Amino acid sequence: MDQKILLFLVATPGVVFLSLALAWLLGWQGRERVIARITTTTYGSMAIGVAVLAWSMISAGTHTVSVDLGNWFEVAGYGFPLAIFVDVLSLPMVALTITLVGLVGYFSIRYLHRDPGFFRFFLLMHLYAFGCLLLFTAGSLDLLIAGWELVGITSVLLIGYFQYRKEPVKNAIRVFATYRVADVCILLAVFLAHHWFGSGSWSVLFPGEWPNTTHVMTGPGVTFLAILLVFAACGKSSQGPFSGWLPRAMEGPTPSSAIFYGAISVHAGAYLVLRIEPLLQSAPIARGLLLFIGVTTAILATLIHRTCADAKTSLAYASMTQLAVIFAEVSLGWTTLALFHIIGHAIVRTAQFLRAPSMLHDYHRLHSAAGGHLDKVGEQYDALVPSKVQLWLYSVGLERGRYDAIVDRFILHPLRSASAFLLRIEPSWLGSAVEESTVTPTTPSTPASTPTTSTGDVHA
Amino acid sequence: MLKASDVYGTRPYMSESSYRRELGRARIHEEDLDTILAAESDAEILSESGLTRRQLRRVLLSPGLRRLDPRSIEWQLEEGDWKRAFRRDLPAAAQDRLKDDSPATLWEACFERIDALHQSKPAAAKATRPRDGILAIHGIDTDEVVHPLLIRLSAAYLDQGIAYWPMPEREKGFWNASLKILSQRWTIFPDGLQGLGGLIQSFVKRKLTSEQAIFSCFNELGVHEPEWDDFITAQLLALPGWAGMFHRLEVEPELSPHQRLPVTLADFLAIRLLITLCAVKNASKSGKEWRADLPSTTTTRTHRLSETAKLFEVAQLTGLTSATVRGFTSEEFTRLHSEFLAFNNIERRRVFHLTYERRHERQILIPLAKHCALPSATPAVSRLVAQVFFCLDEREESIRRHLEECDPEIDTFGAAGFFGIAVDYTGLDDAHGAPLCPVVVKPQHEVIEKPIEDQTHLHKRRRSLRKLWARVAQNSYVSTRSLFRGWISTTVLGFFSIFPLALRVLSPLTHARVMKWLNSAFLPEPRTELTFERGDEVGREAASGLLRGFAVEEKANCVASVLGPAGLQKGAARLVVILGHGATTLNNPYESAYNCGACGGRRGGPNARLFAAMANHPKVRLTLAASGIVIPEDTWFVGGYHDTCSDDIEFFDLDTVPATHEADLRRVRRSLDEARARSAHERTRRFEAASRVFSIHSGLHHVQERAAHIGEPRPEYGHCTNAVCIVGRRDTTRGLFLDRRAFLVSYDERRDPSNESLARVLGAAIPVCAGISLEYYFSTVDNEGYGSGTKLPHNVTGLVGVMNGYQGDLRTGLPVQTVEIHEPVRILFVVETTPERLMPVIEANAQLNEFLTNRWIRLATLDPETKEVKIYRDGTFEKLEGDEEPLPTARSSAAWYSGKIEHLPVARIVPTQSV
Repeated sequence: MDQKILLFLVATPGVVFLSLALAWLLGWQGRERVIARITTTTYGSMAIGVAVLAWSMISAGTHTVSVDLGNWFEVAGYGFPLAIFVDVLSLPMVALTITLVGLVGYFSIRYLHRDPGFFRFFLLMHLYAFGCLLLFTAGSLDLLIAGWELVGITSVLLIGYFQYRKEPVKNAIRVFATYRVADVCILLAVFLAHHWFGSGSWSVLFPGEWPNTTHVMTGPGVTFLAILLVFAACGKSSQGPFSGWLPRAMEGPTPSSAIFYGAISVHAGAYLVLRIEPLLQSAPIARGLLLFIGVTTAILATLIHRTCADAKTSLAYASMTQLAVIFAEVSLGWTTLALFHIIGHAIVRTAQFLRAPSMLHDYHRLHSAAGGHLDKVGEQYDALVPSKVQLWLYSVGLERGRYDAIVDRFILHPLRSASAFLLRIEPSWLGSAVEESTVTPTTPSTPASTPTTSTGDVHA
Repeated sequence: MLKASDVYGTRPYMSESSYRRELGRARIHEEDLDTILAAESDAEILSESGLTRRQLRRVLLSPGLRRLDPRSIEWQLEEGDWKRAFRRDLPAAAQDRLKDDSPATLWEACFERIDALHQSKPAAAKATRPRDGILAIHGIDTDEVVHPLLIRLSAAYLDQGIAYWPMPEREKGFWNASLKILSQRWTIFPDGLQGLGGLIQSFVKRKLTSEQAIFSCFNELGVHEPEWDDFITAQLLALPGWAGMFHRLEVEPELSPHQRLPVTLADFLAIRLLITLCAVKNASKSGKEWRADLPSTTTTRTHRLSETAKLFEVAQLTGLTSATVRGFTSEEFTRLHSEFLAFNNIERRRVFHLTYERRHERQILIPLAKHCALPSATPAVSRLVAQVFFCLDEREESIRRHLEECDPEIDTFGAAGFFGIAVDYTGLDDAHGAPLCPVVVKPQHEVIEKPIEDQTHLHKRRRSLRKLWARVAQNSYVSTRSLFRGWISTTVLGFFSIFPLALRVLSPLTHARVMKWLNSAFLPEPRTELTFERGDEVGREAASGLLRGFAVEEKANCVASVLGPAGLQKGAARLVVILGHGATTLNNPYESAYNCGACGGRRGGPNARLFAAMANHPKVRLTLAASGIVIPEDTWFVGGYHDTCSDDIEFFDLDTVPATHEADLRRVRRSLDEARARSAHERTRRFEAASRVFSIHSGLHHVQERAAHIGEPRPEYGHCTNAVCIVGRRDTTRGLFLDRRAFLVSYDERRDPSNESLARVLGAAIPVCAGISLEYYFSTVDNEGYGSGTKLPHNVTGLVGVMNGYQGDLRTGLPVQTVEIHEPVRILFVVETTPERLMPVIEANAQLNEFLTNRWIRLATLDPETKEVKIYRDGTFEKLEGDEEPLPTARSSAAWYSGKIEHLPVARIVPTQSV
């Protein structure tokens, strides 16, 4: 019974997405009312499903429910396992996903009414829910990646939701590029897990019931694997070296900002580090790295948050701050606390994002209730540091930690120069075949579109 | 207007295809095209075939030119059937003349002529901004590095309270504060802004003011004195929203809601130029390289092809054969060519727009004239039960009509919603006063709402409770976002916010009710009074320079300004109700656009309350009687407030209503309750999300839910349907279904022999209504340029505006969600008087004269005696002729509108019992 419910929960949004997508390919752009009805029924029934599942799990003493659907394919000793499971860690994440996606979906029916992208938004939202649920219930790293990528791609497509404007699309591509770099880490981690430890399955690598799981891995590879996974998590949760993309993601419509960057998507990284927490226990370097990333991101993000003068960016950095704290909690081994923190934070942030457009109204009400002047804020630094340092800190905050400038100058600029150089020497290298190529060296704006990738094929 | 569209790069009219669509669905008639063209100058173009300018323009409008995209013109010509067959929708005469010709030869003939014409190359263009020059020469968009930094600085500087940490040293001005921040040590600027720190250091060392810095930048960018004006305009318009906000706050610093700062546009321009200079130096060899000639973007060939295509179309439409085209003398050809070039896209849209407005005019005026010719719908009773004053707002038209339908013995009036009382008002819960009057008026009086004497303790408790709440709310706002407090609060309390969140999203109305209940359960509500009494002494408040309250004479003036022009017909009823209005909405940074325009975008309840209190004042009545306005002793005034979004109505000071009037009050309230439900029901017909089959009661439920929903981008449609303003007696419009599209101002010319009231009424109504009409017009015709585009990605910034995404320009105007059903026409004023009496009034007022002579409004008069309608056309009035528009009748408003979502024509409502 529990297994059937679990399967139902994970598969439903996927099936809804597939049928809507198929209908769309056949030329049917669903009427708003129909989409609205489908959405409410889907998440209504899923909410009931998850409640039943939770009840049965708790009354039976919190056991793990798993469904094994065999292998997708098998090649020379490697099988891609299709196994999903739900345990004490997954269950809250699944419940959170269903509740918040349902609520935001219901909100969006009103919010996006008559918008030309209404259908597209809901199509992507169902796919996103499917990706999240797959990610949280995946029985193995292999399957987790499928969910991980679905979440990533829907996120990028919704940042670029307003396709007719330039900035959203540009920022979406930038986020996409950041995701890809972080994704290299998780892909590498899967290969190495299989290579060194013979499996990517959670139950093999981490036997036992969460939070009392142990792990079976040994050797120097452990640290390397853990570091890779920590970096992958940072990419999804906008931490440390990947912390610059979160404000860019604010280009999308408010509900998608809420569900992705307030609620579920950014917490996926936190889920991953919680899942591999035993591994971190035996890899002190990775653990130290996680703590370092958590603490530095928290300090930087809270500094930036203090200087943000617009509602959504301010929320983005507030989210980043708490995520960093969650990372630090995990690194210290406070897993239960971290789980509570994730749940509380996701809900609060969703509510705040949804209220962001009403901010003027709220603020004026507050202002008049306080009798015309609010308590002064932002004076903590006055007491702590001399005014020169204060100014410097403020300039760091206002320039968003100079993150973009650093990436621009020390990563993108050299990349561009390198590609321009390659483009220049290419004709003499390849002969005159590509001489007529009219690509100008200045146009590529992201590493993903550098001309070297396209000419690589010619060479091969 | 055309100049503005040139400067701002915006569109002055709707697109040609939208007008064509209107032509297709008979919103514009072909006959309108003829009439409008007939009013314009004509000239002969070709003597041989007798082609005139008017004929040419007529065919260019309808059937019109086919469009060719210049980017793919060759492909379209090869693949399309342009050269294979003539168009099928040609006029019969043209078809006849072309029957022996072939499209290919005609095309060749046209091409030869055009080819011969274009021997010279198009003149080289100059860039107006460094960015354009550098983009054309190097392919680098300097805006991409300049704007993010500039926007972050501006947003932080103008912030009114979103950022937890306000910008340091901002009291020293934008220029100084920004320099301070940008010149910090160890800064790293993005790729395109390397060396900005050094540049700034050099400016700081020279101790330049922002103005000196601007000149210095001009110098380095190679801009010479004669070009300064254009250069500055172009620079500022690169981010019109931010530049505009700096300008507004410089001119009117009192507009900033919470913190006044030394804002100057020069500071903004200086910072902008400074960063631009740095970006230019990074992107090009010298600061002046951008001034070189720009490479041309279109090739000569495509240009010639699209010119040929136009001539080809003209030849087809006017029936010129290839032989004729070849045979033109060069003089003839130049004349034809310049004629059709002169009637370009903008010109065509201008004529289309005039036809669009002409049809609208006739759809309103003809039925109105017919309605006036029929017997009046006002009941024949000796004394009315009640008279209800509303704001002249067109959104009140429906509730007025329904109220009269519910209870024929009630008469309604319309007056500008500040009811003649320009006042700076401080409510019980307000932190400080706000002017409640049109924005052009500066209030001279101040009124404060105070608890009555024996309830001051309740007020004290209320105030301290509210302060406590504010402190808790502010702290919880801050604490969920900061580092340490956020850690604790999100972990421990975060989960519990799921309950209010779920309730708010799933059932906003329940949430609103719970909040209301909590408020009334914990917040004591003292009974209040308004301090508006003042002796005759002229004592001003030292701080505000305002007169405290009103003296008797001033009160009488206020009351007279409304009762005078309205002319309470059949004397005052036993009960006169004054309803101010406003709108309660969430998810709406545009709140003031929905409130009362005559109250400066605020809620007009206090004005109504004040008005009633003044009119009930015995001394005021005595003074009024002396000036000829007699209010019977048994008449009582009651003030109230109508929420146009949720359609709630509340009354003020009911405890002072004499016992003798309670029965009257009950009856009026019952009728108003019924009317607001019906009106809400009528409103829901415009909402696509509302079901078409609805009981009256659920209509009210629907609009209340909209008002309380945090995700609703269209709490109401605002003034979206405004199109007409009728100044006259209710008699002339009573029983007429105007579809919430008409501002209705009560004015009785028979009681106004001196035209004094007319001057006062028009002086308030024309600026307010025309302002609203134009705001909607521009936001509709170019929603991205003048309006603010779609509301969905809007991001509240610094409490001063909204921007798109996370680093964009501040948006101006109205969002698409507010104007999507608007018909962009200039407002049509219909004044019930004669042209002879009207024109002196308008000419005497410079502002009104400007509105009229610059054609921002349309004007017509309705003769009170003969019921003849005359339309103002450039200085003269011309009589309305023709009666092609019908005046349908319906049993009730509901019978007329039910099940329909589009704009509805005017109809006469004839209740069954009187048929």
